[in-house]
Amino acid sequence: MVKEPSQEHIKIPIAMSRPYRWATGRYLGKLYKEARDNKKLVTNRCPKCKELLWPPRPVCGRCKVEAGEDWVEMSDKGTVIQYTYLVYPLWDPHVGDRVAEDYPNATILLDGGVYLVHKLEEKDPEKLKAGMRVQAVWKEEERGQGLNDILYFGTIEQ
Amino acid sequence: MANRVAIVGVGQTYHKSKRPDVSQPEMVNEAVRAALADAQLSMKDIESVFVGNMETFEGIYLPDHGLADEAGLFMKPGFKVATGGSSGGSAVVEGSNFVASGLFRTALVIGFEKQDAGDTTGAISAATTPVWGKGMARGALGEFAKQASTYMKQSGATEEHAAMVRLKADRGACRNPYAHLRLGLESVEEILKSGYLMWPLRLLDFCPQSSGACAVILAAEEEARKITNKPVWIADHITVHQEPFRAGTFGDPTGLETYSEDVAATKLYKRNGISNPRKDIDMAETYEPSNWQEMMLYEYYHFCEKNEGWKLIEKGITEIEGEFPVNPSGGVIATNPIGATPVIRVAECALQIRGDAGEHQVTRDVKTAVATALGGPNWTVMVLLRRFL
Repeated sequence: MVKEPSQEHIKIPIAMSRPYRWATGRYLGKLYKEARDNKKLVTNRCPKCKELLWPPRPVCGRCKVEAGEDWVEMSDKGTVIQYTYLVYPLWDPHVGDRVAEDYPNATILLDGGVYLVHKLEEKDPEKLKAGMRVQAVWKEEERGQGLNDILYFGTIEQ
Repeated sequence: MANRVAIVGVGQTYHKSKRPDVSQPEMVNEAVRAALADAQLSMKDIESVFVGNMETFEGIYLPDHGLADEAGLFMKPGFKVATGGSSGGSAVVEGSNFVASGLFRTALVIGFEKQDAGDTTGAISAATTPVWGKGMARGALGEFAKQASTYMKQSGATEEHAAMVRLKADRGACRNPYAHLRLGLESVEEILKSGYLMWPLRLLDFCPQSSGACAVILAAEEEARKITNKPVWIADHITVHQEPFRAGTFGDPTGLETYSEDVAATKLYKRNGISNPRKDIDMAETYEPSNWQEMMLYEYYHFCEKNEGWKLIEKGITEIEGEFPVNPSGGVIATNPIGATPVIRVAECALQIRGDAGEHQVTRDVKTAVATALGGPNWTVMVLLRRFL
């Protein structure tokens, strides 16, 4: 076999920060404010179909109507619908490195009836199961980060 | 009355994790030349160009501007479409719409992704709705993993069934010279030995990050009949959007949400007289980044009843020699250059209808085929292709 000649590749690594300023807007902004000031999860309700809109928003996609200001406070308790946990280290842009030791990731159905994707405090795969009851564990410091004001969801007794 | 639109040429690059030998425009040019050669046309015959690509994955600002010459866009109309994984499908739909409208007689549609430039999972995690759920997402992997865990519980499908899907895909890929992963897998046990990436997804349960491009050439009926004696007609197509973050997940674990796939399939089949998809359609190329997803897609696209997707693989129905072949090319789990992926689905269906798929040509005579695309969690594009109109 003839070995292919190796090619010279020029690589330019560029490390840069992301100087963006994203606006939460009025509706999501209210959720941010309630989470920061009162450790509460709030959302608004469609005046026509009465479904909770999530995250809060100015219009109902289904009914195509203006949603308005019918705000509802939701419990921060919920049920784990599905979960996964990382085994192989995965690149995490928020850390800037490959991360394997992380909290399990779960889809949680809040008692108010909306879904949330968040982390679970419980790291032992043997103790994880769909249907487990969980509650938000709120951060005490550096709040104002929306859903990131919640550290993770901790297991609660039935 | 809209013009009838046909595919008159298809071409793709070979697909690999890394293509350091070419720049992005050079890679795109390979696919363009291959499609033109297949159609026996030159760039002079092409009136418009549409491209599908997710530029955040490569970090290149307006790549369609940078590769105007290599894509044949120079001094011609066209634009780039970015709708997540379905970008290439949306580009096919746009090209088809413009030719159907009569505005252009021919359109070149190109999908591409050069994933060796960056980290797609990182880009998805970093750029997805920065003020909502930042740091929660685990790219596409996390969502497909959770979806698989629920499917396993609800349907009775086992890890063995998922492994059988990978085996089928690998058999197809090994017969497709353009496929990326051609592993020569021989047994279910071999696949069950591969380690977990994210439970319950194993390394061999998921698609690779491929670099590659694919192009198709579309023509209005009059031109199409002059260009080729084997036109493949775009009989119909449909796009259905669903806000990805309503459920916050791929699919819906509680059955409360409507699937965009379900809405798209119901409408498309109804208006084309398809009452029994597995009988009225001869084969499918679907967008299945994981083997678990393929079994679910059988259900979402009405190829079988709910929770019975795994039975199709168990009975060999979707094999190349089977009654209803799905992803004979090896599919997305073998080859996933994201922007190119849905264009490859359309091109592969066209080759099967023409009888030009070579080693992976299916046993069943393909007169009708469906190509699907999945973008974000729930952005569905379906393209229905026929040999005769």
